[in-house]
Amino acid sequence: MSAARDPAYSSVAPGQPQLFGRVYQPRLGVHWSDRIAHAILVAAGVALAIFLLAPMAMILAKSAQDRAGEFVGLANFAEYFRTPALARSIWNSVWVSALVTAITIPLAFTFAYGLTRSCMRHKALLRNIALVPILAPSLLAAISFIFWFGNQGLLKPLMGETQIYGAPGIVVSLVFATFPHALMILVTALSLTDARLYEAADALGTRAARKFWTITIPGAKYGLISAAMVVFTYSLSDFGIPKVIGGNFNMLATDIFKLVIGQQDFAKGAVVAIILLVPVAVTYVVDGWVHKRQSALLSARSVPYVPRPSRGYDRTMAAYCWLTGLAMLAVLGMAAYASFVKLWPYNFSLSLDHYRMGIVEAGIFEAYVNSVTMAVWCASLGAVFIFLTAYLLEKTRGLDAWRPFVRLLAVLPMGVPGMVLGLGYIFFFVQEANPLHALYGSMAILVICTTVHYYTSSHLTAVTALKQIDDEFEAVSASLRVAFWRTFFRVTVPVCLPAFLEISRYLFVNAMTTVSAVMFLYSPKTVVASVAIVNLDEAGDIGAAAAMATLIVATSALVCGVYFILQVWLDRRTQAWRQS
Amino acid sequence: MSNPAPDFLVLEHIRKEFGSFVALKDVSLAVRPGELLCFLGPSGCGKTTLLRIIAGLEVQSAGRIVQAGRDISLLPPMKRDYGIVFQSYALFPNLSVADNVAYGLVNRRVARAKREARVAELLALVGMPDSGPKFPAQLSGGQQQRVAIARALATSPGLMLLDEPLSALDARVRVRLRGEIRGLQQRLGITTILVTHDQEEALSMADRIVVMNHGAIDQIGSPSEVYRNPATPFVADFVGKTNLLPAERADATGIVVGGQRFQCEMDAGLAGSARLRAFFRPEDVRVRGVNGATPNSAAATVEKVEFLGAYSRLTVRVDGIAQPLFADLSVNDLEDFRVKPGDALRVAVPAERIRVFEAPAA
Repeated sequence: MSAARDPAYSSVAPGQPQLFGRVYQPRLGVHWSDRIAHAILVAAGVALAIFLLAPMAMILAKSAQDRAGEFVGLANFAEYFRTPALARSIWNSVWVSALVTAITIPLAFTFAYGLTRSCMRHKALLRNIALVPILAPSLLAAISFIFWFGNQGLLKPLMGETQIYGAPGIVVSLVFATFPHALMILVTALSLTDARLYEAADALGTRAARKFWTITIPGAKYGLISAAMVVFTYSLSDFGIPKVIGGNFNMLATDIFKLVIGQQDFAKGAVVAIILLVPVAVTYVVDGWVHKRQSALLSARSVPYVPRPSRGYDRTMAAYCWLTGLAMLAVLGMAAYASFVKLWPYNFSLSLDHYRMGIVEAGIFEAYVNSVTMAVWCASLGAVFIFLTAYLLEKTRGLDAWRPFVRLLAVLPMGVPGMVLGLGYIFFFVQEANPLHALYGSMAILVICTTVHYYTSSHLTAVTALKQIDDEFEAVSASLRVAFWRTFFRVTVPVCLPAFLEISRYLFVNAMTTVSAVMFLYSPKTVVASVAIVNLDEAGDIGAAAAMATLIVATSALVCGVYFILQVWLDRRTQAWRQS
Repeated sequence: MSNPAPDFLVLEHIRKEFGSFVALKDVSLAVRPGELLCFLGPSGCGKTTLLRIIAGLEVQSAGRIVQAGRDISLLPPMKRDYGIVFQSYALFPNLSVADNVAYGLVNRRVARAKREARVAELLALVGMPDSGPKFPAQLSGGQQQRVAIARALATSPGLMLLDEPLSALDARVRVRLRGEIRGLQQRLGITTILVTHDQEEALSMADRIVVMNHGAIDQIGSPSEVYRNPATPFVADFVGKTNLLPAERADATGIVVGGQRFQCEMDAGLAGSARLRAFFRPEDVRVRGVNGATPNSAAATVEKVEFLGAYSRLTVRVDGIAQPLFADLSVNDLEDFRVKPGDALRVAVPAERIRVFEAPAA
């Protein structure tokens, strides 16, 4: 077996072969097992192009066409800006999102500060309470606030002349929904600061306020910017909340829906989608820049900060955190409570009527089943696709020109609001000439769209886990002539299992709660629970809507519990080799 | 082949560029069968890149590699024949020691009993016969490194590549493992390339050392050749402690350093250069029994006495020489010959111990 005579591996003559004056870079032969890796990576890139790039391109195309499909350039944009009712939505969206950001960030920062920099008790419990909104569709908050402060709300008298419907309701609901997202980022940012900076400051006799402004805030600066971007983007692109509690207050996300579903004006829907895409894309770019800066701050040798007990201060922080936590439970609890109330506001006796009559007998329990089905597919196939692609990107070699393209497609979805993605999907898949037209109205398209929508976070989780594995595993395996998939299944997957479970859990919960992306894509047979809530609310059956929202929260919580138990079990089983 | 080469691995004109950065410029060398060859140099000298090229983990920009008569220049790693050990050990954390060692045997359709026998044999070979069921995290760094070596040897590769294998270990373990690896390599007679930046490691383990600097080879030679007769000022400075002084040419058999003439041996090639550098080791500087009549001697003042365990290092100032000189003195010598900072004495350097190089262009 002389590979020297194998034409695939011919050698380079000494010296430098030149081609058109440029030094020619020789390439290694590719082993057949690596060709399999390349084939999968190409397929993954093509899939992402079809299910992300093509729909986005369709939105661009549609925005420049008239109803008959003729090219009209920027005429649709011009007409859009001439319609005051529409153009006002831009301003509405921006100021509401800015206000939500201005309220949420200080609230979440103080909470995160309490969690990381005080010695108050029950931190884990408080943290979990604060993260609860993640388990619910965003519009649950809107429903709850209607029960608290709406026309027939419990605390309506406190409102005076003010109406909760419209901007006030949107703002408070968004604050509730965005709080945990900001909190997670800020907790991370505050835990990163090096304790030695504080020790140095103490040694110099620095006062507390000065330490806060010169060490804490600069250390958390990138976290603050990042959290602000996330909250702003979330508020700008959320659909469920303004739909339920917005009344006549128009925002960009609801405009897209009205234009496309209500008026069938696809061109103008596409215009709004592009307008919505711009600020989101800007924040996305800023956030990417911030992340790069932040990772440079991280040093492996930094010492974690350990707070020292201080009675008065710890109590103040505890009081604040409990107050915030209780407010969150009050919002969540109201939806749950109202779902059991027989007839709001006339008969407050508890019953299962909304579940029995409002959901099961009304024939929309199927929507719940669909949601769970979709979430299971996303959490299994979606998670496998994302993890496998991340693995091939990070750990295999060759195909150097293709990799950056796939990497880009993996981080792009974070910059695309769900409404825009969903709209792109209808434009692209509704065409009968499209060979993938059969997907239209199927469960598969909901699974694919949702997986793509939440791709980036999952991808980054996978990449982080993969980067922590020794880079030389693949080199060692090749030297032992073991094909990459053997090492993938025997080593990489077992070592990354916790990260894989985290991705899977994340996709499950988001698939259960998402509204925006699937709003355009469901068919009568594939209505999902979150969409059913919107429809129930529109039909005035807010009790059943609350019941459905409660079902979603309960399911998400249950599934998180299952994942938690799985993690604990896994930790125990793998403890022997995980100990450092 | 009509003209069989005795060399096991031959690198011809290897060049490597990363963008506009040239990591290796035209490196050629040959590895003899059964020897332990060491790539020695400071970080960034290209030694690891060269090893990765041999392993097929990087591709050379130009050049040719022949292993055991087979051109492997463009073979993917899986088609080459070597075992590799990395600084990080790269042991699979979720597999037991035995499974790690057996990793390369599993897909070679080796019968289970035979495989287990081979694993036991290898673990015994690296001195860890009972560690099979343990996980890597339960082992010390030195033990992990031995497992990594056993894993690399399992498939009986023709070539062993060791990439800074001892750098992550603490000093005592490092010294012990040096001897063990060298002993194992000699017993198995396996051709081995070791990459290191630690000159002591290279001197104590290697059959031959390749000293690299800025992507090029400065010298290839046995440890004593490299130490005693460095080919360039860089080698002289990098391997061992040295005195490297600016000098001028006096005549065919002497140089002037700091206004004083020193007798020395000089290469004929230096005849044309006026500006030179003189090099000699601290242990070659004599301070005992030196008087005005001793050839190549000069008056000096002791500036510092540094206690380094087995020997002490004197820092002395010689009149007329700006740079201080180092002279090593064994503990016993120091006890007989008491010196302290401020003492005046005479130092001498035997003529055959001075090497002269051309001074770099300013």
